[in-house]
Amino acid sequence: MVSLMRQISFFALLMILIACKPKAPENAYNSGNADFSKFMTIGDGHTAGYMDDALYSIGQENSLGTLLQRQLAMVGAQEVSLPWMDNGNIGVNWNGQSRLFLGYKTDCQNVTSLSPLRISPQGEINSFSTSVYDPNRKFSNFGIPGLRMIDLVSSSFGNINLPQHNPFFARLSKDQFNFPGSGTFSTYQDNLFGNGYPSFCSIYIGIEDVLPYAKSGATANPMTPIAGFPGVGFEESLGQLCEQLYAQNVKAVIATIPNVAEWPFFNTIPYNGLKLDADKAASLNQIYNPLGFSFVVGENPFMIADPNAGMFGVRPALPGEKILLSAPLDSVKCYQMGSIFPFRNEFVLTLDELNEIQTRIDQFNAIIRQKAITYGFALVETQNLYSKLPSGFAFNGVPLSAKFVSGGVFSLDGIHLNPRGNALLANEFIKSINHSFNSNIPLINALNYNAVLFP
Amino acid sequence: MHTCRPLLYSIAIFAISLLNPFFSQGFQVNFQGQKQQGMGCAGSAFAQDASTLFYNPGGACFSSKSEVNGATTPIFANVMYVDSATQEVFRTKNPVGTPFAAYALIKPKKYHRLAYGISITTPFGSTVQYEDAWIGRFAITRLAMKVFHIQPTVSLKVTDNIGIGAGFVWSPGEVTLEKDLPVQFNDGTFGHAMISGKAMGFGYNLGVFYNPGGVFTAGLSYRSGINMSVTEGNVAFHVPEGLSTNFPNGALTSSLPLPAVTTLGFNVKVRKNLNAVLDINYVGWKTYDTLSFDYATNTTSLLDTKSARRYKSIFAFRAGLQYVAISDDSGQKLIARIGGGFGFSPVQSGYVTPETPDANRWYGTAGVSYILSQHFSLDASVYATKIQRADTNLETGLSGTFTTIAFAPGLGINYKW
Repeated sequence: MVSLMRQISFFALLMILIACKPKAPENAYNSGNADFSKFMTIGDGHTAGYMDDALYSIGQENSLGTLLQRQLAMVGAQEVSLPWMDNGNIGVNWNGQSRLFLGYKTDCQNVTSLSPLRISPQGEINSFSTSVYDPNRKFSNFGIPGLRMIDLVSSSFGNINLPQHNPFFARLSKDQFNFPGSGTFSTYQDNLFGNGYPSFCSIYIGIEDVLPYAKSGATANPMTPIAGFPGVGFEESLGQLCEQLYAQNVKAVIATIPNVAEWPFFNTIPYNGLKLDADKAASLNQIYNPLGFSFVVGENPFMIADPNAGMFGVRPALPGEKILLSAPLDSVKCYQMGSIFPFRNEFVLTLDELNEIQTRIDQFNAIIRQKAITYGFALVETQNLYSKLPSGFAFNGVPLSAKFVSGGVFSLDGIHLNPRGNALLANEFIKSINHSFNSNIPLINALNYNAVLFP
Repeated sequence: MHTCRPLLYSIAIFAISLLNPFFSQGFQVNFQGQKQQGMGCAGSAFAQDASTLFYNPGGACFSSKSEVNGATTPIFANVMYVDSATQEVFRTKNPVGTPFAAYALIKPKKYHRLAYGISITTPFGSTVQYEDAWIGRFAITRLAMKVFHIQPTVSLKVTDNIGIGAGFVWSPGEVTLEKDLPVQFNDGTFGHAMISGKAMGFGYNLGVFYNPGGVFTAGLSYRSGINMSVTEGNVAFHVPEGLSTNFPNGALTSSLPLPAVTTLGFNVKVRKNLNAVLDINYVGWKTYDTLSFDYATNTTSLLDTKSARRYKSIFAFRAGLQYVAISDDSGQKLIARIGGGFGFSPVQSGYVTPETPDANRWYGTAGVSYILSQHFSLDASVYATKIQRADTNLETGLSGTFTTIAFAPGLGINYKW
């Protein structure tokens, strides 16, 4: 009897405790008036998952394209199909180098600190000579590191016989490594379509039409012109892609080009990062006073080469000018680069150059916005995310910013986003899709994705 | 009884007129007497047992007997958070909170105008633990805060109808706060921080009790605010080795203000066996403006923090009925109670945090007492509430809806002599 009473009261208490739990709302995910069943992502390294200055498996797994498609799978998108890299995660970049990781480095002053390092002396270069094309399998992710708008219809893009070919494209192209004389080479777009693909696509192209120029300090890799035939000019190259998609009744989301000069690669070394004690200031003054430049104890602008700056072609950097992360830091610390030896042009973006780059981005974006309207594409303003990063913002209690390494958004190359950054950017795509196609796709919990890993 | 009705009316109107501008509860725990808990946590002007030492020290001198009593009210609280962006659902796995109250009230035979006593109560506290990997883990993963009020009290009848009382409050406490840090080890796991410390504060509790000897009693009490200062806190970090110099373990100081509570209470015997009670609380939450942590060692990654809380002072209204269901020649046998209340939330929009996902709240209570003998009696009560609050926190950016269901059954025992 006592034990029965005990059971009853225990049961009663259990019932009460269950009733105590708030009931979760039922989800109402839907695809609205879009068909995601044959979803494809079109774009450059961001879409592919290039990060830490290489394409590698974990990066692909956490690419903008993969994260976006995984989320769209909640409302009908097929499983992600990727041209996977080796699962050893060494990765490879354009120059055959491996990916970066955060490790300990001892500099020329014998100070040891955390620094991005290559994980291996050599990258996965064998992936450039191994085709991953499979006629029975459609890749859903067509992110190709380095893809420019003008590469879409270029038959040299995958032509391994030409030095300017793109090895990341050649490995997945249906040409399967044509050898000299064995026929013509298919274009990026030739590979894209077929078998009813795509029903919906994301388009994020254009960064590579300006970024290589900016990374070279505006010394090489000229930016894509606006006018010109498809394969030459930006506007018509995008226009013909839109026409093709329109002809096949493909719905799409298209993204604008972010202001690349706000990224860590261009903002980690401050223009006035030349810190001097009294002795160093005095010796620099001896050298430079005759030229009309003087130095003080404390912070000074770095000296940069500028052919337009008087007869010596040297001047102090101005506020707003960028010293690039490609500058050799040991030379700065120990061998007077940026002071006695001014930074060479390739390590600097001057105000004029920055203005030139920004103007071109604005022009490209105007074209992208206009095409979105013309073809009824959803439009992603990438600056909605990127513009918050220079000053930083709090995201579910996590401070995020464009700060190199610690900012939590960019990978160790200071250009490409890390997995968390890609999740945040994918959310901008989802918001735009929801808005334009009346869908209800939940956003990604970006904090489930890694930022920089520390030893 | 007729004469009382206009008064009740005007109180009700006064109460309603206050609804708009004030926003109830913060981390207050209003479980200091089983009898009051049965009546919507009201009854500061209905001195039935030693708990009046807490509710209104002025009422203790009207007690005819000495008494000890003790009670506990385990709180079963479940919080659900629905993130507005991801529509993901996260829940708490709170351990059961265990507020308690223990009283000793001595009524000296020689000095019938005097009573004195001591109480140990837990009027503030909070226990929240969220599920692993929840989306707000970088704001908080676990909070355990306990505050004990130890209050020696003296109560004196200054006239036949008016009693006053004063208590000194010694308030020791302890707090543990844990959260994940947004720095990751090579295997992807996040860093973690645990702040812990003992706190201490002092205050007082004053009350005036009016008992004209008829069907009506009233009381006014004021429990002072207390600044709980954490002078020997400690912070422990679990971070990747490469960042260990950025996050040095060590000492910290902080403080947490507990608000002053002013209570106006009324009790009316509306029928022979039926009492009605009303309490109006004014809680000075405005004092909780900022939560700051001052670390002994600062680094570029570990700066002293000041988080805005910007609480508002608020009103809460509590009311209940007590009905003597069974009585015989020896006296009352079984007493039944019912009640409820409404409290405004001190937490303003933009400042809702997962450690206190507060909202304006309605709640209901019920209770019984069983008188075993001339000396012994037992009390039981039950409290239930459901609150919901949607907000976007300005500091952390957490944006979603908290829904809390809390259920608190209490049990107490009294011995009178």
